[in-house]
Amino acid sequence: MSLVVEPGAVAEAEVAPGSQARRRGYGSYVGVKFLGAVGSLFFMLLVNFFLFRVLPGDPARTLGRGRLTSQAQLDAFNKTYGLNEPMPQQFLTFLKNIAHGDLGISLQYKLPVSQLILDRLWPTILLVGTSTILSTLIGVYIGLRGAWNRGGWFDRISSGSSLTLYSMPEWWLGLLLIAGLGVGFAFVPGLFPTGGLHSPNVDPGSIHGVFDTMWHLVLPVTTLTLAYLAEYALIMRSSLLDELGEDYLQTARAKGLRDVVVRNRHAVRNALLPTTTLIALNLGFVVSGAITVETVFSIPGLGLLSTDAIGVPDFWVLQGTFLVASAGVIMANLVANLIYGWLDPRVRT
Amino acid sequence: MLAAFGLLLAGLVPALTLGGPAQGKADNKVVFHVAMLGEGVDSLNPFLGFQAPSYEMWGLTYDYLTGYSMKDMSPEPGLATKWTTSPDGTTWTFTVRTGVKFSDGVPLTAKDVAYTFNRVLHGTAESQNWLSYLKGVTSVTAPNDSTVVLKLKKPSATLPLLPIPIVPEHVWKDVSEKAIKSYAAEPKNGEPVVGSGPFRLVSGTADGQTFKFEANPDYWGGTPHIDEVIFQFYKNDDSAVQALIKGEADFVEGITALEVKSLESNANIQAHNGNSPGFDEIAFNAGSVADAKGTKKIGNPNPAVLDPKFRHALGYALNLPQLISKVYQGAGLPGTTIVPPNYTQYHWEPPADQKFTFDLTKAGQLLDEAGYKKGSDGFRTLPDGKPIGTLRLAARSDSPTSLHTMDYFKTWLSDLGIKSEVSTYSSSALTDQIYKGNFDAFQWGWYVEPDPDSMLSYMTCGQRQGSSDSFYCNPEYDKLYDAQHVETDHAKRVADIKQMQEILYRDSPYLVTAYSSIGEAVRTDRFKCLVTQPNPGGIWLEQYGVYNYVHMKPASDTSDCDAAPGLTGAVKASADTGSSSSNTPFLIGAGIVVLILLAGGGVTLMRRRQTVEDRE
Repeated sequence: MSLVVEPGAVAEAEVAPGSQARRRGYGSYVGVKFLGAVGSLFFMLLVNFFLFRVLPGDPARTLGRGRLTSQAQLDAFNKTYGLNEPMPQQFLTFLKNIAHGDLGISLQYKLPVSQLILDRLWPTILLVGTSTILSTLIGVYIGLRGAWNRGGWFDRISSGSSLTLYSMPEWWLGLLLIAGLGVGFAFVPGLFPTGGLHSPNVDPGSIHGVFDTMWHLVLPVTTLTLAYLAEYALIMRSSLLDELGEDYLQTARAKGLRDVVVRNRHAVRNALLPTTTLIALNLGFVVSGAITVETVFSIPGLGLLSTDAIGVPDFWVLQGTFLVASAGVIMANLVANLIYGWLDPRVRT
Repeated sequence: MLAAFGLLLAGLVPALTLGGPAQGKADNKVVFHVAMLGEGVDSLNPFLGFQAPSYEMWGLTYDYLTGYSMKDMSPEPGLATKWTTSPDGTTWTFTVRTGVKFSDGVPLTAKDVAYTFNRVLHGTAESQNWLSYLKGVTSVTAPNDSTVVLKLKKPSATLPLLPIPIVPEHVWKDVSEKAIKSYAAEPKNGEPVVGSGPFRLVSGTADGQTFKFEANPDYWGGTPHIDEVIFQFYKNDDSAVQALIKGEADFVEGITALEVKSLESNANIQAHNGNSPGFDEIAFNAGSVADAKGTKKIGNPNPAVLDPKFRHALGYALNLPQLISKVYQGAGLPGTTIVPPNYTQYHWEPPADQKFTFDLTKAGQLLDEAGYKKGSDGFRTLPDGKPIGTLRLAARSDSPTSLHTMDYFKTWLSDLGIKSEVSTYSSSALTDQIYKGNFDAFQWGWYVEPDPDSMLSYMTCGQRQGSSDSFYCNPEYDKLYDAQHVETDHAKRVADIKQMQEILYRDSPYLVTAYSSIGEAVRTDRFKCLVTQPNPGGIWLEQYGVYNYVHMKPASDTSDCDAAPGLTGAVKASADTGSSSSNTPFLIGAGIVVLILLAGGGVTLMRRRQTVEDRE
């Protein structure tokens, strides 16, 4: 057993007599949080409908400019997609469709919104998910190495460069990488593709296709990883610095443990808590994507879908992508809340 | 542990490096890779889409009753080999080509043509895009397999142009009126979309990035010389240009004039700015009203811009050559009327004594004559002596051309003693402002179809709150519009159309600033024989029709280009035609796997060593 005093253990000691009550408490805690999440989701549905109706623009005129040349043609478009109905009627239709799990038809692409979102979900998850995992792992490592040898050469270089990368706009970093590694310069040939998720003419399902997709994702994933890196590195660095002064580390050293063990077994485990929060929150944002990077690298994800939809405005698509994005954040918060409540009973009061 | 790891690697690497290229080069197919920019394909269903690339997809997939010539886009035989008109112009009889088959083997007959047109005439979703081409048509019938008869209320001057894709009745009869609004018409389970065009769509989906077509060996217009066309959509023009330089793409469309210039130095690339049938304009609020009848005024236009004389005088304040060289980087032509000079037979070119020149003295003189004299503060006043105030100029934030044009316009106005301010809006926000009448002037542009009828209609009174964005209304113009639409004498119609342009030039609801161009570039070490439309001076790719897809040849093909009477300037192959296809992707892909495995293995080994040390 380690000598580390965990916050949970203290709380447990204090409320020790009521351990039965605590178990019931967790059940109702879960119930409340779950209801809260469902409530938020339902509220988002309602807000979604009206939020996008105030966007400027008229889909028939934006999409049909130069094509819907007569009033009869404009009317035909609006009638086809139910836009000629009065707003309350449209809202009822929307609620009815949602109840049936139908997110509507995209005005721009004339396909069911659910199909569009499913098509676009995987590229985004692949891109942002991979980058989140990589930036977490690398960021945490950089942060702890930096904090452990605070002020050392590694710390100075890593903090400096990760802050610089953090301050760069993601799309600009992406363009730099395209210019440097995608196109090549002087004697360096272009090593990576400049855009897209896979080469044309390649079946993404085959082994060949999987490697091809990986090859295409190198630059966008690198861009996002570099951009996200600093966030994790800095949080990790500062929380580890907070732990460094603690008595238990002295104790651990006094036991004669090696430096690496003191760091990895004792300090880092406690310092990871704030980082865990950050990861949980950021995971919720995975589905909302990285709009600018998706644009620079022509990755057909949810971010690109939403930006394209705003200009029309394509109400149904916007409602759908917002629903998915908010559901992602609400879910991540719910999960974080549940884990907290389980880890630390004080949260439940 | 290490040994096992090494074995794994040794097994993986050769499999990857060999497996990759073998698949790509199994057969020597000639594939034309096109890098597309801008809006993507919005629907493969020819009744639903609006975007230009969708038209390209339908053009390859389907056939049309009549086509457009390469020379000047005048009507040409398509599925119809010939056509006749009754003397009163209300009955059109088309003779449909025999022996044409859809890709599933079912013959295409006049019945399919009549079926398609009737869906447009009688449907809701189907009528959106195509109804305007059948304006005035009361019935379409197919008395036999090779004859289509159109009956009209009144003669229609836009016939025989009927650019409606002909769909197979035996497939589309199962698509109900209710289902068609979300019917994708995309390849399913590896089955291509059924059509009769020169190519067959084998993979691709609306809003997708990649569209793959295979040649139709039985195409009635001749088997294409290339085996496949692949369209790859790019969101970023840098990436698209780089793809061309690297050879990932053979053609790129929609690039800037500066990019064209930088590509010109590449020996294996031919780049140009092709004249496109579009124009950009500064439009004025000529009297915003709530409906087409004009009974209720809305918005708050400045009294000055409501006056045709004021607007016309500003035509002399535009330094168009400067605009073309600075804002369009030299790619484009100074504009005059709303029918681009590409359409040689319909375009009216203002004679020298009427044509706007950059002449601020003359502009000032005309303003003085119209009563807009300079006040004591140096700013011009309205004829009643009140100050003009500040003109509100609107630019579109998504178009640098729009922003720069309006900035220049502001400077020129200020030289004349007129105050103005530029506001920027997104296109959709500007649309809202326009229909509310809350503007004095804005910058935008139009594409004009080979028949100028619909473009001309946008300036009629009946289009206010419809497609009109200037609220221009002039009964004299409307009378000519109605007359030309039913005129069966072509020469008389052309005269009417030219007179309409003259009226617009005089009243200046639009000051046409530029005839736009499209930047295109092709790898001449890979392909040759592309011809521009119109010829000469036009564009290679997004043409009216599919000429280039059928007639272009791989550069390695030593035979001459197909005979093209009257057309000049076909793209020639460059000297170095050794096509390069590299194994880089697969080597790099394999390299990444090796790196990841090495890193993973290394970490595992380190961890193992640590635990061993810890235990000690």
